[in-house]
Amino acid sequence: MDQLFVHIDQAIIHWAQAVLPDWMAVIVAMKIPIVAIAIFGPVTMMYLTLIERKLLARIQNRFGPNRVGKFGLLQPLADGVKMLTKEDIVPEKADKIAHLLAPILIVIPALLVFAVLPFGRNMIAVDLNIGVLFFLAMSGTTTLFIFTAAWASHNKFSLLGGMRSVAQMISYEIPFVLSVVPVLVVVGSFSTVAIVEAQPGLHWFVFTPWGAVGFFIFFICAVAEVNRTPFDLPEAESELVAGFHTEYSGMKFALFYMAEFMNVFTVSALVATVFLGGWQGPILPSWVWFLLKTYTLILIMMWFRGTFPRLRADQLMGFAWKFLLELTFVNIIVAAIWYEMRSPLNHLTAAAILIVTIIVLFQFNKTEIPKKRIYKYAYAD
Amino acid sequence: MEVLTAISKVGIYVIFGVTLLGAMMAVTLRNIFHAALSLALTLIGVAAVFFVLRAEFLGAVQILLYVGGIMILVIFTVMLTTRIGDRTIPTSNHQQWPVLIGALLLLLYFVRMIGKTPWSIKSELAVVSAVQIGKSLVSTFIFPFELTAVILVAILIGTVILAKSDEGEEKS
Amino acid sequence: MFGIGVLKGMAVTFKNFVESYYKKERLTTIEYPEKRLAEKERFRNFPFLIFDEKPEDPRCVACDICAKECPPQCITIVRAQDAQGKPLKKPATFDIDYSICMNCGVCEEVCPFDAIFMDHEFELAEYGRFEDLNYTIDRLLKPKEHFMKIRPTDATRIEAELKKKENAKKAAAEKAAAAAKAKAEAAKTQASQVPDTKPETKPNEPAQPADPPAEAK
Repeated sequence: MDQLFVHIDQAIIHWAQAVLPDWMAVIVAMKIPIVAIAIFGPVTMMYLTLIERKLLARIQNRFGPNRVGKFGLLQPLADGVKMLTKEDIVPEKADKIAHLLAPILIVIPALLVFAVLPFGRNMIAVDLNIGVLFFLAMSGTTTLFIFTAAWASHNKFSLLGGMRSVAQMISYEIPFVLSVVPVLVVVGSFSTVAIVEAQPGLHWFVFTPWGAVGFFIFFICAVAEVNRTPFDLPEAESELVAGFHTEYSGMKFALFYMAEFMNVFTVSALVATVFLGGWQGPILPSWVWFLLKTYTLILIMMWFRGTFPRLRADQLMGFAWKFLLELTFVNIIVAAIWYEMRSPLNHLTAAAILIVTIIVLFQFNKTEIPKKRIYKYAYAD
Repeated sequence: MEVLTAISKVGIYVIFGVTLLGAMMAVTLRNIFHAALSLALTLIGVAAVFFVLRAEFLGAVQILLYVGGIMILVIFTVMLTTRIGDRTIPTSNHQQWPVLIGALLLLLYFVRMIGKTPWSIKSELAVVSAVQIGKSLVSTFIFPFELTAVILVAILIGTVILAKSDEGEEKS
Repeated sequence: MFGIGVLKGMAVTFKNFVESYYKKERLTTIEYPEKRLAEKERFRNFPFLIFDEKPEDPRCVACDICAKECPPQCITIVRAQDAQGKPLKKPATFDIDYSICMNCGVCEEVCPFDAIFMDHEFELAEYGRFEDLNYTIDRLLKPKEHFMKIRPTDATRIEAELKKKENAKKAAAEKAAAAAKAKAEAAKTQASQVPDTKPETKPNEPAQPADPPAEAK
């Protein structure tokens, strides 16, 4: 059961070697994970939209989609048909080429990062020795395409959305990347497989002091990276219509949506891989564990969306630069100390340093509550 | 297997071609935003070349820093310029012919240098892991590494001072 | 402490999420086409015409008051005539354009014969935009049991009033009959003396040219 998909893969390769010429068999062997990802990504995205709608509906005491198919299970297909048949509108003054390219290009990094995710034991498309770095690099390029879309639309709201996206991305990219560094320091490799193998059984990194803090930072930055509530300033519906994809309709809009939800999935998967032990876990097959952890994180993201109002721009920036960044720096050092010290002592030291840091940071970040104003002349007597 | 080698060779030349095309467009395109996008294409192409040469760390860092960071800043700057998308902005001036001659001479010189350099050709590409890069950064190349750090710190302090002085002016 | 509020908020949404699965009062949505809310008695939508025994004999007497009072002028009535062209106390056509009607209920209020009432029907979607929404008399007529069903309070009150009126009428008629009888008897006694002075009912006036049916459009 654990190696189910690996066996299927092997069977297909065996069949290809028997039937096809040599070079074609190699291509088939290469293409299997690609095809698997190309199917898995969009299908995941489709059903994530449904899950999100159902979950938000339940949080708001509604039913959510339940008309198309049992429990609305065919709703994503209906949406897809609707998107495909919708008129594709290009604004007259838009930059036609960039307007066309942006939604296409934005899906590419979203799909590429699937390649370095270990879905289970031996279930990884490419075990790059720079896996995590590759992931971070690829997800970072998304901003460029968001910005292209925003600029190409020739729309003020789009442009504002794009600007916000860039500002947010630049701020959160730094703690996002740096919060993985403790793990890399401890594991000594960028490879996602090596990271997962360094957390056998239930020895997940999240159970160490620096791991808990790192998980916290990484997850928050991940939410910010994929532009989801409460960090959804780039596409703030109530302020910017739809932000960078205001001027997109039909399939182009669907591609943006697809990229966003695939990013949600991949980023949650990366958080699970790096801090929650990836596919490690007792009893259940490895890929079940992986999907379980990933979907838990996705559901938490959706839960965030159902709970929190959008942050103000200055709160967003302040949180990234004044709190998360310092904490990540301290966290890197703490991880190094933890790695070098002996067993019971290292947990205590690391926890102590981190708690002190967090308290100090809170003290520095305390918002001054203004004194209650007394309006001298407001009252007649 | 020969088919595969041929395919990969074609792929490499396509990457080279796209990179060079991106560079050309970055210089010649009238639309400044398109030029910036072409520059991004070039940088991605360079990263792809790194990947082809099995220097994955460099490739990833190239994308992370140049495409994810510097390109964003470049485009952000483009946004703040006036007359974006104005097609009347000239991309060349009356000095283009002397510059062309100079550039050609420089190209000749580079080609000569590349031809003369005794490259050590290995049958197999040496894979340099990130760990090795990190170790050499803090041992062999510690001085340039630290110097870069000092420069960055200087930039940070400078930025803080610039930001601060604005506030002071407002107060006075 | 920072973060307590965050956790509190998340607890609230979590409670909402979980309780929506088993608490009835959380999930108040009625899934409409399958389940429906019980209709409120005072709900009123579009008007309908009422008949007592058979649809050929509606209560409406084609007095045209509702058509005159209707604020958006959506009612068109043509009075029926018998073979001689004498106007009858019933409508030949009675059209209400539901696409114009604004559900004000003025027609119900002004009708002196309690012949038009507001219905509970609200699923009125049609394919045609003009013809299908112009309700003719055969679609408007409904038995009085329907009225009793949808608005029992009003119906009982109105029925009682009608009955009272009818009783009064009957009583008056009986009285009149009795009076007439008495008169007749009295007259009988004097029949030999007084000649019959009862004026003859005039013959029908020459048939007026029938009103041209109101042009719909």
